This record gives sequence, structure tokens and C-alpha cells, in this order.
Amino acid sequence: MWDLLARSLGASTIFLFAALGELVNQRSGVLNVGLEGLMLFGGTAAFITAQTTGSYPLGFLAGLTIGGLLGLAHGFFSITLRGDQVVSGMGLWILSFGLTTYLGSAYTGPLGLARIPSLMGLSPFFLVGVALVAITWLLIFRTSLGLAIRSAGENPAAAEASGISVVAIRYLCVTVGGVLAGLSGATYTLSYNPVWNYNFLMGWGFVSLALVFFSMWNPWILLAGASLFGIMWQLSLSPELVLPGVLSRYVWRTVPFAITIPILVVISTPWFRTRWGLAKPEALGRPYAKG
Amino acid sequence: MPLTLPADRAPTEPILAARGITKRFPGVLALDHVDFEVQAGDVHAVLGQNGAGKTTLMNILFGLVQPDEGALYLRGQRVHFRSPHDAIAQGIGMVHQTRRLVAAHTVLENIVLGHPRVRGFLNLRGARREVEALCNRYGFTVDLGARVWQLSEGERQWVEILKALYGGAKILILDEPTSVLTPPEVKTLLAGLQALVRDRGVTVLLVTHKLPVVMAASHRVTVFRSGSVVARLRTGEATEEILVQHMIGREVAFRTADRSAEAGRPLLHVEQVSAFNDRGLLALRDLSFSLRAGEVLGVAGVTGNGQEELAQVLAGLRPVTSGKVRFADRDVTHLSPLERWRMGVGYIPAERIEVASIAAFSLVENTALNYHFDPAFTPRGLLDDAGLDQLTRRILSAYNVKAPHQYARARHLSGGNLQRLILGRVLSRRPRLLIAHLPTQGLDVEATAFVRAKLLDARAEGAAVLLISEDLDEILSLSDWVAPIYEGRFVAVLLREQADSETVGAMMAGLQKEAGAR
Ligand SMILES: Nc1ncnc2c1ncn2[C@@H]1O[C@H](COP(=O)(O)OP(=O)(O)O)[C@@H](O)[C@H]1O
Ligand SMILES: [Mg+2]
Repeated sequence: MWDLLARSLGASTIFLFAALGELVNQRSGVLNVGLEGLMLFGGTAAFITAQTTGSYPLGFLAGLTIGGLLGLAHGFFSITLRGDQVVSGMGLWILSFGLTTYLGSAYTGPLGLARIPSLMGLSPFFLVGVALVAITWLLIFRTSLGLAIRSAGENPAAAEASGISVVAIRYLCVTVGGVLAGLSGATYTLSYNPVWNYNFLMGWGFVSLALVFFSMWNPWILLAGASLFGIMWQLSLSPELVLPGVLSRYVWRTVPFAITIPILVVISTPWFRTRWGLAKPEALGRPYAKG
Repeated sequence: MPLTLPADRAPTEPILAARGITKRFPGVLALDHVDFEVQAGDVHAVLGQNGAGKTTLMNILFGLVQPDEGALYLRGQRVHFRSPHDAIAQGIGMVHQTRRLVAAHTVLENIVLGHPRVRGFLNLRGARREVEALCNRYGFTVDLGARVWQLSEGERQWVEILKALYGGAKILILDEPTSVLTPPEVKTLLAGLQALVRDRGVTVLLVTHKLPVVMAASHRVTVFRSGSVVARLRTGEATEEILVQHMIGREVAFRTADRSAEAGRPLLHVEQVSAFNDRGLLALRDLSFSLRAGEVLGVAGVTGNGQEELAQVLAGLRPVTSGKVRFADRDVTHLSPLERWRMGVGYIPAERIEVASIAAFSLVENTALNYHFDPAFTPRGLLDDAGLDQLTRRILSAYNVKAPHQYARARHLSGGNLQRLILGRVLSRRPRLLIAHLPTQGLDVEATAFVRAKLLDARAEGAAVLLISEDLDEILSLSDWVAPIYEGRFVAVLLREQADSETVGAMMAGLQKEAGAR
């Protein structure tokens, strides 16, 4: 039982890192639907670097750097060029999918390094994730930078009139978001499942994206959601554990999305917004032109 | 609401000055070598009609817009404001014409947002104490924990003022602060500004196009017209008449006349109608008038005085809170738009693209928007495509719409051609009452002339026409009756022969005279 849980939390960590970055991103008003691509690219870069140099730290560094650069690229399209954020995000995903398949195919197979040690089966990265959740929560809700980020995502014109540079804030957030997506990919290929295969993620990035909506942009709910989604994912890998024959792997894989959709419907209602006041950042996905 | 002001003081060194400011927008010279000064400790009114360049200059003073030429001086020192951040750091605060608050955040969060003293971790408790102290000093009461979307427009404005003061503003710019407020709120605001100037030595820049506000609350006034400063006066030495003259650029002569005895029975009768605007404020206040067939009533006014709401009430798109609308001897107050169209009401909305047409639809489909309920075009409940096709082609040729063919999308038409189509589809129903809201706005000279001619044709054919426009020349050249509208009421209903542009312009600016209002 503990083994299953520990393994689930390992999966949760992957969701958690990526979704946390996307949460920061979206809080500042930028939507990056290409999350899966950033993770693929970051994971592949980390895998190749670690395998060629034999060094985990260098591998992680490569993953984080590539993630950050792709985040910046998304920022350039959506903030500076004010392009369509969904188009840019999908473009990044397709580009990453193609490029990693091309660059990584020579490295197909296991990593071949000693495994990163676990704490009684629990991934140490999960603890890093919990710490990052606490830090993100503090940042978003308790610091003046966080207030500026939230304002840029809710009403950029108001932020600008308050003396805040919306462009700088959004660039900062897309870069942080990209770095965390890169960390997520690197954690996958270096720790969770250190075997490279083309398109090794098969939808983890999209689950993470759904998780951000599920969390209602709150890091603690995000942590709970990541844990839940991790368990669902793990059950999809071993569907014989619960109601075998009734709930197949595909049912378990659908559950995160099946939960997220009704939540999205509920939080979009005026009733919810009036009653709870928290919901989607008002300016999410909308380019901002100064003046 | 007359406020007592101290007598004019001796001139002092200007605290803020703009010299030789020029700003061009594509196709518009918004400011033309403007020199502007503000004395410390004054309430300085900036007066001018819509489009005179007031907001543009204020945005430049706040660093939100960069001038093409010219320089700013603060206490005699040359300054460059690259963004509002720089202006705020120098003690300038601005309350914008449109609210700049984050609706989902609390009042307190909005106030501390971007504040130079709030760095690192937010100390909301400390900030709350300071803001509460500010509130107590000026007698504002606002719940700091409330979320901004829960507040009224007046309260939101207070939040912005508090935000500017909390940010350390010594110079406070208010752009059209009274346009969204109810009269009691205006009174509170002006009194609060007096207190700020008196007790804290704040300098206030008050932008407005309303004369009573200038007279009641300012020490000095700078008048703008078409991007230039045309007058700098002490308010004590000015009168409303002088200000209007500067604002409009002509002599003012007051001649108003009552409407003479009526010949026939009116087709449209509006009795004591009141209605709210979208923000829940009273936009029409006990407005009454009547209109006969074959007459044009021109409603002249500055945008936001209830014109939009009047058009919507008559079209059946906005409920009235009290009063009655009678049309063709029937009480139509609560009839739906469709029932009104059937009775012969035609409506040309101001928003050509957003309301009057559907951009992705073809011209035939857009024409059908006025015919979908007509049995002649819906035999057996199906749209009569061939009939609509023919009708659209007739409209295209009769109204000189330049379009590749009748199945082109509306979005590919220029503004003038789209308006010709809209006009054609409304007039081809031969309405008995035509409501035309800003029918020539943004059109070129030829299209404008065409639209005006068609409105007069409709009148000649016996339609009653309600023409709502900001263009005074248009009103005067088309109307039989002229009604200046100000804050939801007709100031007067004047016979065309007795309405001259000076009188009407002054009434549009809120100058009330013993007029023959009815
Ligand atoms: N961002 C902009 N782009 C293009 N034209 C503008 C812009 N802002 C203002 N203008 C034009 O500049 C002129 C002055 O506008 P504004 O300063 O808003 O006038 P006011 O505040 O006195 O009503 C108007 O003709 C307006 O259409
Ligand atoms: Mg303005």
C-alpha cells in the first residue's frame, strides 16, 4: 500500500512541478498550453546531458535552462508580439515533439546511471515540490510582487497605472513557468522513469494543465490535486488493483479530466464568483497593449 | 451645490508645467504645442469638449503617454516620465476616466498595489491602519476588506483617490470624475477635494466638460479646444457664459423659445420616463417629449448624458423604472423590440459593428435581421432565400452600397457602406418612427451627406425621426425641433428657428437658463 502511495506521489511530483509553473504563468495572465512540449524538451535535454556527462546536476541544469528558454520564447510571441497564446503554445508543443523525437532517437533506452536515492520509496523531489508549493503560496498571496503578478493577470491596465511594468512581470512569470516545466520533465527522465522513448510523456503535460484549472489557481489545492491525479495515474498503470475488469486503465486516465470539467463549469458560474470570489484570472490569455 | 472658496491668491511658482507639448495619433493632432501650468495648492479645472485633448495631456503628465514634442517641469525642474512609475515616485497621482482597479481584489490590496513603500512581504495590517487614518481624516467610509466589484461606481472612485493619496500624491489628477457619479456623490467628492487642498496642500487637476463643476470647485481654469489651450482664467473672474464661449469658440446669445401650440396629435409620446444605465445609475430622469409624424427631433448632447439609454428605451431594449411611452395611440412601454418593429419602429443603433450588424454574416443575412419576422419573407416558417436575395440586391443598388456581391461578409464593408446597408434595411420597412443614434459617426463626407439626405427623405414620407447626434451642425441642419440633453433630461425643446448653435452648445454643457423646457 505504501509502495503504491509512494510511487503515486512520484507521479504527483511531475504534475506538481509543471502545474505550479503554469499556475504562476497564468496568475500573470499568460496561458501556455504547450506545457507538454516544454516538459518533453526539458526532459530530453536533461536525459541527454546526464547520459553524456554522467552528471545528474548538469542534467537538471540543462532541463531547467531549456524549459526557461522555451518559456521566454512563448513570452516573446504572446507578450512582445501579442500573438494568440493558444496558437503559440500549441506551436511550441508540436515543435518540441518533433525536435525531441529527432534529437533523442539516438538515445532511446535506459539512462544507465545509478538511481537517485529515495526516502523509503518516496521521491525526494516530492518534498521539494511541497516546499515549492509553500514558497509559491507565500509569493503569490503574501508579497508585493505576488500582488503585482495577480494584478497583471486580472487587470493589466490597472497594474500599469499603479506603476507596475506588466511586460516585465509577465516575462518573469513565463520564464519561471518554463523553468519549472523543465524541472518537471527532467525529474521524469532522470528520476521517475529514467528511460528515453519518443513522446515519453504521452499527455502528462495536458494533465498538468487541467490540474491548474482544477486548483482554481491556488497552490495548496494544486498540491492536493496533484496527489489525487498521481494516484489516478498510478492506478491506470496497475488497473488490476481496484475493481479489475470494471475500471480499465483508460477509465483511470480519464478521471483527472472528468473531474476537471465539472469544476471548470462550476467556477465559471457567476454564482461561484460572487460567493467565493476566486476563479480564473480575468485577463488570462489576453494580450496587453500599453496606453 | 455652491462651495465657498477662498479668494484668489497671489500667483506662485507653478508646481507642474508642460511646455510646447505636441502629440499626434494616427490621423489626429491631439495636442498642438500646448503650454500648461498649475499653481501649487490650487484646484485647477481643465475644461473642454469631447476630443479637445484633455485626457491625452493628463496621460502625458502621468507618464502613461509620451509626447512627440515638448517637456515637463516639476517645481521648475525638467522631468522625464517614462512610465506612471516615475510620475508616482514624484508625487503625482491620477484617477483615470475609466476605472483602473482590479475588480477581484480587495479595496486594500488595490490601494497598496504598486506602492513604493510596500516591498517584499505585504504588511497589510500596517497598511490598513494607515489607510484607515486617511479615511478618518477625510470622512470617507469604505470597507477596506470588500472586493472592488462589490462597490458602487462612486465608491470605486474614492478607492482610486485613496490609492493616489496613499501613494504620496501631492498633485492629484482627476479625469472626468463626476461623469459616473450621482449628484450627491458629486457634492461629497467636491467637498472632499476642497478638504484635501485646504488641509494637506494637495494640488488638484480636475478635468471636466461640465461648467457647474468648474464654477463650484476650482480656483483657476484652463480651457482646451481642438488640441490647443484657448484660455487661462481665474474662476472668480469667469462666468459660465465666458467659459462656453471659449469652449465652443463663438459668442453666446441666449434665446430660447417654448414649443408653440401643437397642430396634430403626436405619434410618439414619452411621459416622465426614467431609466437606469448599465451601472445602475439613473441615466434618464423624468424625461418627457412628444413627436409628430413628418418631424425630426434632434437630441444634442455630450456622450453619456442619457442618449444611449433614451434610444434603447424607445427601441424596447432597456426597461424603464417609471414613466410611459405611447406610440400610435398605444401604450408600448412594456412591449418587446419585436412587437415595436412590427408596429413600425425602426432603429439605427450607434454601434454599427457590434449591435447593428453581425460581421461574419453575409449582407443577405444581415438584411434578414430586420425581416426574419416578416411573414412575407418566411413562408411556411422557412426563410425565403430568393426573396431576401432580391431585397438585398435592391437595397445595395438603391443605397449605393459598394460591395462585391450580396453574399460578401459584413466585415469586409467599409464603415460608410455598412451604414448604407443598415440604413437601407431599416428604411425599406418604411418605419413610422425612426430612431437614428449617431448615424453619421465616423463616415466620410459623401456617406454623411447620403445618410442625412435619406433621413430627410424618410421625414418627407411621413416618418417621425428621433436623431441623436453629437454633431451640432448635423442636428441644426436636419431638425424641426432641437432638444439639448444634459444629465438625463432635455434642458429645453427648441423650435429650429429659435435654436442657434451657441444656445444649444451652452445647454449641452449644463448651462441652465430660464428656458422653455417642457
Ligand atoms: N490612443 C489613441 N489613438 C488614437 N487617437 C486617440 C487616442 N487617444 C486619443 N485620441 C484622439 O485624440 C483626440 C483627443 O482625445 P482626448 O485627449 O481623449 O480628448 P478629451 O479627453 O478632451 O475628450 C481625439 O480626437 C481622440 O480621438
Ligand atoms: Mg477625456
